[in-house]
Amino acid sequence: MSFRAITLNPGNGGWGGPLTVEPTETCYKVLCVTAGGGIHPVAEKIAELSGGEAIDGYKNNVPDEEVMVAVVDCGGTARCGVYPKKGIFTVNLNPVGAVGPLAMFITPDIYVSGVTVDDVVLADGSAPSPVKKVEKIDKDEYMAKKEAAKEEAAQSENIVTRIGIAIGKIVNKFFAAGRDSINLVIQTILPFMAFTATLLGIISASGAGNVIAKTISPLCSTLPGMLIISIICAIPVLSPVLGPGAVIAQMVGVLLGDQIGAGAIPCRYALPALFAIDAQVGCDFVPVGLSLGEADSDTISYGVPAVLYSRLITGPVAVLIAYVFSIGLYTS
Amino acid sequence: MDAISTFANGFIGLFSAGGEQFTSWVTGIIPQVICLMTAVNSVIKLIGEDRVENFCSKITGNFLARYIVLPVLAVICLANPMCYSFGRFVEEKYKPAYYDATVSFVHPVTGLFPHANAGELFVYMGIATGVQTQGYELGDLAIRYFIVGLIVMLIRGLVTERIYAVLTRNN
Repeated sequence: MSFRAITLNPGNGGWGGPLTVEPTETCYKVLCVTAGGGIHPVAEKIAELSGGEAIDGYKNNVPDEEVMVAVVDCGGTARCGVYPKKGIFTVNLNPVGAVGPLAMFITPDIYVSGVTVDDVVLADGSAPSPVKKVEKIDKDEYMAKKEAAKEEAAQSENIVTRIGIAIGKIVNKFFAAGRDSINLVIQTILPFMAFTATLLGIISASGAGNVIAKTISPLCSTLPGMLIISIICAIPVLSPVLGPGAVIAQMVGVLLGDQIGAGAIPCRYALPALFAIDAQVGCDFVPVGLSLGEADSDTISYGVPAVLYSRLITGPVAVLIAYVFSIGLYTS
Repeated sequence: MDAISTFANGFIGLFSAGGEQFTSWVTGIIPQVICLMTAVNSVIKLIGEDRVENFCSKITGNFLARYIVLPVLAVICLANPMCYSFGRFVEEKYKPAYYDATVSFVHPVTGLFPHANAGELFVYMGIATGVQTQGYELGDLAIRYFIVGLIVMLIRGLVTERIYAVLTRNN
């Protein structure tokens, strides 16, 4: 099949582009990394019109240099920036502009968004932008020349100038680090905090928190009771509700402390009780915690249920382990 | 009329409580997070991102390092909630498990290192006060709490890792 140049236009509400790409012998693959895997119709059409080959990016690992264009459906967190960062032409099916942690790499000459099947057309003879291969070589050569020129310049300059350049570089890195941090806070951490704070406010102001604390504390005087508490606390619907700020765990902790002080609960049960009332720890904070760890949105959407389900198993297990470790504690 | 205004007050109250929570996070967590992230980012940029990430992903290839060494270091050095930012050093597929392991340790750590989670001390302190009232020393409880915490975080890390793998495979 012969290779043909195609033009990718931004769709409704889209951003960037239009891009003109043409496959070559070594660079002809259309990497499709869209939700649910498989080949998206847009990727299919790009491959069909250009004579390239569409490949499911979830199932196959393709070397970057063989990828002519990557098709993603990113909401604006990670994938939309990953391929531009690698210097690969990127088509985003969602109408998302230059946002996300990698926003600085998303430029209109390498990225186009909001693309639908109708926006993929054959390029006419007068293609406006150069094909990828040519551009890439040009870029590499340019960078190489630039590096060489820099080295030459550095060698010929005296020590004062060189120190100056070095300090400038370091300051630039600090500044870039600050900019990265602020971007991450605005784009991921703050939105999650807003959501979690709203939920928490509703729980504490409606009085649900107090009711829960008073129900739980009498159960803590036996091992089966504590196992039940840990399972209740870990129920995936309840655990994010019980988690916020460890407010409930702290209230129950104080109530239990009273009971232990009064002699109603044996002292050695303090250790398993600490785990029983805390099976939900952090369940409210999973998306924020994951975004602090720079996880991308897919990881967050599957990571939240993974943590919540896991607690149903590990909550009671933690109580049992703590129970075993409490043998011999405060018996004398 | 009274009923309506009571309802309105209650309704607004739900969100003003949320607003207070939001403010406390923004003023309490965000400034520290920004400064810490800037410092860590700077160090990483100065060393070179590739080198740091290679090193960290190499050591986090081991599950003991991933769910015990790295989270314990993060919790003690960075405290809650900045400790989760070390999640960047583990591979994407281990991030939920890393989070689970780390967050499970932010209370067991408070018996020995209260600074690591000063805002949530009363989970431990509440119960510990009762033990003290009974006339016992707290050291024994604190150490056992710490040790059981280490075991639990490892189990949580491994279990969550499996569950996450299953969830992503099915979808």
